[in-house]
Amino acid sequence: MSKTANALYAGRKRTNIIAMTLCYAATIFGLMWLTLILASLLINGIPGLSLAIFFENTPPPNAQGGGLANAIVGSLMLTTLGVGIGAPVGILAGTYMAEYGRYERITSVIRFINDILLSAPSIIIGLFIYTLVVLPMGQFSGIAGALALAVIVIPVVVRTTEDMLMLVPNPLREAASALGMPRSLVIKQVAYRAARAGIITGVLLAVARVSGETAPLLFTVLSNQFWSLDITQPLANLPVTINNFINNPDPNWKKLAWTGALIITFAVLSLNIGARALSKSSQSK
Amino acid sequence: MTDMAMTSHAASGASAERAAVLQKLRGRDTLFYWMTRIAAISVLGLLGAIMISLVIGAWPAISTYGLSFITTVRWAPNAMPTPVLGGLSPLIGTLITSIVALLIAVPVGLGIAIFLTELCPPRLMRPISIAIEMLAGIPSIIYGMWGFFVLGPFLAERGLGGNLSLLNASLILAIMVLPFITAISRDVFATVPPVLKEAAYGVGCTTWEVVRNVVVPYTRVGIIGGVMLALGRALGETMAVTFVVGNSFRLPSSLFSPGTTISAAIASEFAESADLHQSALILLGLLLFVLTFAVLTIARLMLMRLEKQKGA
Amino acid sequence: MTIETHSSSQPSAALPMPERISVRDLRFYYGESLALKNINLPLYDRKVTAFIGPSGCGKSTLLRVLNRMYDLYPGQRAEGEVLLDGENILQPGIDLNLLRSRVGMVFQKPTPFPMTIYDNIAFGVRLYENISKADMDVRVEEALSKAALWKEVKDKLNASGLSLSGGQQQRLCIARTVAIKPEVILFDEPCSALDPISTAKIEELIDELKSEYTIAIVTHNMQQAARVSEHTAFMYLGDLIEFNETSNIFTTPKDQRTQDYITGRFG
Repeated sequence: MSKTANALYAGRKRTNIIAMTLCYAATIFGLMWLTLILASLLINGIPGLSLAIFFENTPPPNAQGGGLANAIVGSLMLTTLGVGIGAPVGILAGTYMAEYGRYERITSVIRFINDILLSAPSIIIGLFIYTLVVLPMGQFSGIAGALALAVIVIPVVVRTTEDMLMLVPNPLREAASALGMPRSLVIKQVAYRAARAGIITGVLLAVARVSGETAPLLFTVLSNQFWSLDITQPLANLPVTINNFINNPDPNWKKLAWTGALIITFAVLSLNIGARALSKSSQSK
Repeated sequence: MTDMAMTSHAASGASAERAAVLQKLRGRDTLFYWMTRIAAISVLGLLGAIMISLVIGAWPAISTYGLSFITTVRWAPNAMPTPVLGGLSPLIGTLITSIVALLIAVPVGLGIAIFLTELCPPRLMRPISIAIEMLAGIPSIIYGMWGFFVLGPFLAERGLGGNLSLLNASLILAIMVLPFITAISRDVFATVPPVLKEAAYGVGCTTWEVVRNVVVPYTRVGIIGGVMLALGRALGETMAVTFVVGNSFRLPSSLFSPGTTISAAIASEFAESADLHQSALILLGLLLFVLTFAVLTIARLMLMRLEKQKGA
Repeated sequence: MTIETHSSSQPSAALPMPERISVRDLRFYYGESLALKNINLPLYDRKVTAFIGPSGCGKSTLLRVLNRMYDLYPGQRAEGEVLLDGENILQPGIDLNLLRSRVGMVFQKPTPFPMTIYDNIAFGVRLYENISKADMDVRVEEALSKAALWKEVKDKLNASGLSLSGGQQQRLCIARTVAIKPEVILFDEPCSALDPISTAKIEELIDELKSEYTIAIVTHNMQQAARVSEHTAFMYLGDLIEFNETSNIFTTPKDQRTQDYITGRFG
């Protein structure tokens, strides 16, 4: 090679090395944050872990001990209720889009709107439910919180249900129709069965999503210092409890907040990994 | 002849029974159809209901302040006789934190995506991808906590603003949207036909040159779509930002000063607000909704164009 | 287009053969484009009729009119008449599910349902009949025997339908179809995804099934058509070019295009 070609080539090589190094650096940078955050969670949250967390209620400020029992139970109730309302609606809507309405114009409009809802700020949904439920009811309540969560669940489940049902090959549906099977049974007994793993995965992902949501609960269900299972009243829940604890200098509360954060994160990440494993195992069949 | 008559007679007997069975199922069949249809339409209804409720809630503030809401800085909910409420500070805070977050997250996210598709040993690709996606799974309140207890003091010690600042918020947002940009970029990078890249390598291009001249131009629309989706996310993020942004309605003088964003303002003040104050907060929410709606729509349209381009 | 109902060399002693299905002036449209042009032909009761022709000639389209499978997709429509036992199945108001229970279909690619082998068969039966487990066991065995699959699967009825080989899956689909006791069975290139041994087994099967069912089979394998059918229809570009007894089509075709196709000049 000539001298200029050599020089050019050296320059290009250099650029390449710089660029690639930056890419490595970016990856390490990203992973570093993950490690730092998880490390903080573990370092600060584990000391507070004890059986008491699961059996004692949230303590008043500037007290000793206490736990998160009411908050944990409240969160479980809200999540169950929210998913219980939102998932069926989402599955049915996704079913319409993939089956009956597959070739209709309105389905693409619904898909578009659904995607908007999917990424809508969750605090807006809190405002929505506040106006719709809390004001008429005159108080904050578990129902309002559950409804807010349901509104978040619906777009997630619609999307995954539609995607999964679209993957079911048409010949399978035709084979069932060829036996004289009415459309609803073709869907329920053949398409659903074929897409079952994927649809469940979608629901699990929705559960993971709402388990960590705080904003929509802030002014719908509020929180509750005491043990309560009454969904017509404010209900204790982990995210809002943590939020309240942090906004207060009480060190006991701070400790509990970190432990609560650890519990939520652990639950959410496990659900994510579980959903992933489920979808992988069904694909390899 | 008789043969056929008998067959068709037997057939019609069995047919009649079947017709009866199918008739009974028809009711349930139609019911299922309508259940799915109503559920699907309700998705549309949901969006409409959200918009309407926001407008209704914001109306008092709209009629009181009009356009000056967007230009006024002062936020005094307790002023007499009427509160003086201006949304400029939250608006600016939202825009600044989101844009700075993207300025950090986009290059880093693209870098990670390039790493995953071009440089990463195959065995590590899945674990690293999953690890980055875990970042997306961490609830936003955890980010807020971490930013408040860990990152804040860290920045303060180094003189990079106070414990609570726009910078803190921007950094946290950057980490939050990083996984989205990475995942979308990685996915669109993978759609580049190998032959295109091989052709470039074949004439002696370095990896960087292939990425810069083949991969990125090919996936340009998808990346921009992904960036806009991340922007939409950043604009609306609440809990991560509320703890660290400082909740100051004064116009920020720099990234190091405290400020506020729309969602942080709502989150911190709504529970105890009433009347015009509350209506102003809802108005802020409406503005945020319109903003994210616009950004998300543009993102979707771009991604749809990419789909069409691929399918063509 | 020529139709003949008797071979010219034999005296017509028997009664004219009864037609299970009569296709009259059938036109079929995909959107605006005409895919089938004025088809007229009979499907004789308990005989096998083969449809041959090059790709795109419309033979599968025609088959899918006979059980109105096209109804599942918007933009596809049929005009004319298709009489099943004298009743026009193209008219509005026809119970499609009932029709499909009388006119069954076996597809090109085996499509076992994601269920056990037993349930694959029982699935269709359960739709129409409420029978005890013991009776269902009998029905399942009956159907699998008719499909020449019983011996191979009788010990693993609870295995997934997807665990069978390609040929076995196709026979499972046939068993599934005969389990609900249709009158007509439509085969849409049933062997094109199978190996020669499975193909031979299925051809044997068709030979046995025709004693009970009226059969139409679309195939791009002419030798197969010659082996299994009594009548053959040759189609080309949406037209029915020739319909005759199989032996006549393959030895003395009346149309030049038929001649060209069967001698391999095109297709």
